[in-house]
Amino acid sequence: MFLLVNFASLENTKCTFDEISRTKISLLMAIYSFWIFDKHCNCIFDREWTLLSNSSSGTINSKQNEETAKLLYGMIYSLRSVTQKLSKEGTNNEVRSISIGKFRIHTYCTASGLWFVLLSDYKQASYSHVLQYIHSHIYVKYVTRNLLSPYDFAENKNETRGQGFRKINNRNFISTLESFLAPMILQ
Amino acid sequence: MAVQMLLVINKSGGLIYHRSLDAESDKGLNSNDYLILASILHGSFAIASQLTPKALQLSQSAAQNIDFTVPYIPYVGMPRGRRGGQDKNRSNSSLNSSQGKLGSFKGDDFFKDAFQSWNRSGVRQLCTDQFTMYIYQTMTGLKFVTVSSQGALSASHTGGSSNMHSVHVADNFLRKIYCLYSDYVMKDPFYSLEMPIKSTLFDQKVKQMMENLA
Repeated sequence: MFLLVNFASLENTKCTFDEISRTKISLLMAIYSFWIFDKHCNCIFDREWTLLSNSSSGTINSKQNEETAKLLYGMIYSLRSVTQKLSKEGTNNEVRSISIGKFRIHTYCTASGLWFVLLSDYKQASYSHVLQYIHSHIYVKYVTRNLLSPYDFAENKNETRGQGFRKINNRNFISTLESFLAPMILQ
Repeated sequence: MAVQMLLVINKSGGLIYHRSLDAESDKGLNSNDYLILASILHGSFAIASQLTPKALQLSQSAAQNIDFTVPYIPYVGMPRGRRGGQDKNRSNSSLNSSQGKLGSFKGDDFFKDAFQSWNRSGVRQLCTDQFTMYIYQTMTGLKFVTVSSQGALSASHTGGSSNMHSVHVADNFLRKIYCLYSDYVMKDPFYSLEMPIKSTLFDQKVKQMMENLA
């Protein structure tokens, strides 16, 4: 009997400890996924982290994320059209972040029509410097300045208008991006 | 937070009320454009609920940790005299209270408690270079949208800890507009549900509240 009680209390403490550690990890979590869209409305790169504790978990360029990518693109596109309607004449007004119930979407649009999109939690207000860095130091370095990588990810007319399937599969790009974003997953 | 514009969107996505504080922000947009704008917002609201990251879907604890309680922020959108009337201008306080009765609400503010936000999977804030848009959704699906002139560039100065503060201020303000709606629109026998609001009393009160905040 005594042993049973003891065991129960031990089980209890174990449970609470587990809970504490889990909440701690979830509190640390900062970014959920990262996406790149090109000017043809195609998603050319996606990375989603699924496990809170493991920075190498999740999916890269997954087929399962195709629908989500389209929804995400569509939402940002329509909200961009709203802000452009409401902006003062002759000035450029870009969407910076969209806060949604539990998470926040950060966007960075370049003049060449590339969109860098990052999904994060509420802890940080702005990730624009991070996205700017990814564009100027990682994307330009490993994709734009790479002769072997295609200049335009839609190779013919059939792949424009969101019908494309080509993704960035550059090893250097992916590994640099991973190592750059990894500290932010468990911030 | 200076408010430029207020929109009320009904539960089926139609614009039922629109008010801009200055004519300048209305430039180039007609009422049809605002109707389209309201439906776009309603649509992206529906899409947003489908976008929850997998990490949040998988871990229940992370999803439960998020606090949707909005703290009460005193006297958002209330006349300035009311605030001073409490300690300094005692003589003015009776004048103030008779001037600005809050419809069927007692006291000097509509509510004085923290409340729950019902907007759990929709857009709450849209931050752009020039302005910030806030959306407050009620339990019945009515949406109150406000556009504040403060953009991302000025908001970035405020830093990390206060990044939810502006959302909370906007939620407090929009909940007061909702109180006005429940008073002056819902109690109007000539108002038919889901149709555009024509009430002049509501219009007056909203305008006054927006000016108080500016």
